Amino acid sequence: MPEDPKLHRPVARNEGTRLVGEPGGPGGPGGAGGVSRRSFIKTVGVSAAASSLAAAAQGAGVLGAHLDEPEAKGSGPAMLGPEAANITLNINGKSTPVRVEPATTLLEALRLHLSMTGAKEVCDRGACGACSVLVDGRLVTACMLLAVDCIGSKIVTVEGLASADGKLDPVQEMFIKHDALQCGFCTPGFVVASRALLNTTPKPTLTQIKRALSGNICRCGTYSNMFNAVLEASGQAPVMDQKGA
Amino acid sequence: MLDHTPSDMPTTNRPANAGSSLNDSASRLDGPAKVTGAAKYGRDMHLPGALYIAFVRCPYGAATLDSFDEDAARAVPGVVEVEVRGKEGKFHGQTLGRIVAESPMAGKRALRALRCRWTRKAVRTSIADSVDALPEPSDRASSALDGAELKLEAVYTTPVQPHSCLETHGGAVEWKGDKAMVYASTQGTNAAREGLDKHLNLPQSSVEVVCEYVGGGFGSKLGGPSKELQAAAAAAGKYKRSAYGFSNRSEEQIDTGMRPSSQTLARVAFTKDGTITGGEIHTWGGVGVARGGGGCNVRAGRYKLGIKKAGHEDVGHNGGGPMPARAPSFPQGAFAEELLVDEIAFACGMDPLALKRKLVGQDVYREMFDLGAKMIGWEKRKATGSQTGTVRIGYGIGTASWHSASPGGEAAVVVHQDGSVEALTGTQDPGTGTRTTMGIAAASSLGVPLDLVAVRIGRSGLPRGPASGGSSVTPMIAPTMMDAAEHAKEQILEIVATAAGAPDARAFDIVDGVITRDGKRHMAWADACRRLPAEGITARNRGRAANGKGGNEGVQFVKLSVDAETGVVHPLHVVAIQSCGRVIFRKGAESQVIGAVIQGLSNALFERQVFDRNVGTVLNDNLEAYKILGPYDMPHIEPVLWTHGQTGVRGIGEPPLVATSGAVACAVFNAVGAPVRDLPMTPDRVLGALAGKGGRS
Repeated sequence: MPEDPKLHRPVARNEGTRLVGEPGGPGGPGGAGGVSRRSFIKTVGVSAAASSLAAAAQGAGVLGAHLDEPEAKGSGPAMLGPEAANITLNINGKSTPVRVEPATTLLEALRLHLSMTGAKEVCDRGACGACSVLVDGRLVTACMLLAVDCIGSKIVTVEGLASADGKLDPVQEMFIKHDALQCGFCTPGFVVASRALLNTTPKPTLTQIKRALSGNICRCGTYSNMFNAVLEASGQAPVMDQKGA
Repeated sequence: MLDHTPSDMPTTNRPANAGSSLNDSASRLDGPAKVTGAAKYGRDMHLPGALYIAFVRCPYGAATLDSFDEDAARAVPGVVEVEVRGKEGKFHGQTLGRIVAESPMAGKRALRALRCRWTRKAVRTSIADSVDALPEPSDRASSALDGAELKLEAVYTTPVQPHSCLETHGGAVEWKGDKAMVYASTQGTNAAREGLDKHLNLPQSSVEVVCEYVGGGFGSKLGGPSKELQAAAAAAGKYKRSAYGFSNRSEEQIDTGMRPSSQTLARVAFTKDGTITGGEIHTWGGVGVARGGGGCNVRAGRYKLGIKKAGHEDVGHNGGGPMPARAPSFPQGAFAEELLVDEIAFACGMDPLALKRKLVGQDVYREMFDLGAKMIGWEKRKATGSQTGTVRIGYGIGTASWHSASPGGEAAVVVHQDGSVEALTGTQDPGTGTRTTMGIAAASSLGVPLDLVAVRIGRSGLPRGPASGGSSVTPMIAPTMMDAAEHAKEQILEIVATAAGAPDARAFDIVDGVITRDGKRHMAWADACRRLPAEGITARNRGRAANGKGGNEGVQFVKLSVDAETGVVHPLHVVAIQSCGRVIFRKGAESQVIGAVIQGLSNALFERQVFDRNVGTVLNDNLEAYKILGPYDMPHIEPVLWTHGQTGVRGIGEPPLVATSGAVACAVFNAVGAPVRDLPMTPDRVLGALAGKGGRS
């Protein structure tokens, strides 16, 4: 059988986690939340003693490289694993308790344990963007993060983009208007990636839009409508609007 | 990087002779559910207490399972059942057993604990492995070729291309004791129920299939319940619990069907003015372990080549079997045919547009050629092989043909006392826009705004609707839905006329949600509906559905750049003109054309399932090494819905895909001066063609 990527996760794969927000910039790191490298190593290291995460722990320097905020928030590093543990995640502004194994990804926590299925599992290895979520403002693929890695972080999923009274995010409204979806399975990922782009680049050019969405795949073939949707969501005229008739 | 999109060009062009669509402005009815993540697909149905299926699969092209540790797998916490049923694997991904477990993780751990030991066998991984030598020309073809002014012999190939649906194949079964709800990812809601009753040990009447959303199918989700769903149903029936069976990404890429590979051998004799005087065409399809299904349709009504197809042979190899893939067999043949015609034109020193104008069978193609040539700027095309710089621009033409379906199936329209409307038919929407198309069809024939209509599709037990295949859904069921809506309208107007003491209901009509009498406002829709009986009215189609004139022809023009140093092909601009009859849901129809073009570009430039030729393992059973066209690869695409003189409804999902890869091949030929006869046209092949090596690798 082919090796399962989740059981033997090569450390370098975590470099696939996309970081759209520039450090210090809007939507970038340095905001609320975050897990320190120290707490991360402790968290993972304990579970690794008895699990296949040993390789990950040895490479924690690499793993933690994009998570190197100076200090942990909250009450200090938790000692978790190897059994399933109760953790609390901040998802869409709500404190959400969930019981996960140390090897559980954020995507599995959302989909399997919390019935939040907006983020889709498509490639399960950071190649398609269908499970894109925002973690402390940064665009990441939830299949490439451990749930325990997100303790103390602010997680925003596609379900959290509309306002509490149900008003859609402009990105969502424009995706509908421009028919930027067909089967819809990639759509939550593209919506979140588009929102992440607009958070850092309020008036993106078409080239910037193409680049920002290039971590995502749509199989039905809807990209040009997505470009139009993002342009109009950022208050710009759709480049490829209807001019016929 | 260059921004390749000319900013002054519209995405959508409608020719001056275009008729209006039934609804230009409507957005997808399921848009809000899809953009917020609220839409629940089968894959999303993680039911409390569900069992999960994991498959034991052959990791090689051919291998015997020598040993495995069933006890160790069973000992993994959370494992409910381990069953190994076969020992001989004939392709990478073949299922030889299954695990039933309490969680996906437990299933994966059990597969590892099983520690399968295999003995590999010799494999064949391509058509070329099975076809030793090209056949000798027939006597008739030989005599034509021997005396020819000019002749061409060429072999064109296309690779195995999996559908790569983003939602993988399978289903979830919700066990409810005396009945079961089945959340299937399928293109045929009713077909997906077949046989599940036996797995579940329940009467068929107690098994309901729900398929509200489908994350892509492209043909691979036709034809009954998938094996993953069947395994889930069997586990649910045996353990009387909910169960979940979906393939993972690797399994999706290697064992859920694919577009079969193809090989086309053309031997053509022709004169210096491009008149074809004889020859023959052989085709092969690579069908993996299946017995058939490897079509390569070279002559599907586009060009009149006047030469005989000498035969088609399906060839087996150690790979998964095919499933219908969006316009099955058409793009493979069209790719070979378009490039063949361009090669003939080149040999004659002709403009390929002129030769194609001469060879097409119908005038509508010539009209489309004229429009497309103008939109793409064909007059700027340079002669094939005349460019010498690093970046070379190429132009190419592709054509499409398709067939239509007749009205059929059943539909019902229910009008309630509060004025709300339901439109029911047992079809499904795998991204095609069928839900919205049905809503517009019902609303427009009833004469009410779309927002009053709730569309009920994607469930078993609804009036019999079609499977999503063959671009047949809209031509079949839209006229049927309109028939049902007209029937409902007549019943309502009878009630209104009777209440008004009018002798003839024909003086009444419903226009934009208002009841009119002799063309003047009579009463509001809500007031009319209050007169309906408590249960409302239910109107079924009466067999009066008819489908008028319409076409399925298409023409595409592609403009692209080729970097002569790197071999990279970058599409710049695609004009896609598609005949599709009367348009119902305009945004959706345009999206279908854009999507087909994108898939066609992706097939032409990137997609190829790669087998290890020694052990038969698929090397790119994932979405990073199996490359699919992404946002940064996007050209500017202009869909043109060609509705001139058409009154009937036609399908549009498949025909636009037929034209694209051939148009790309012709454009690459134009840019570099040598044909690349193998898909995908990857940089190595383009550089090979440039180096005069014929482009084969």
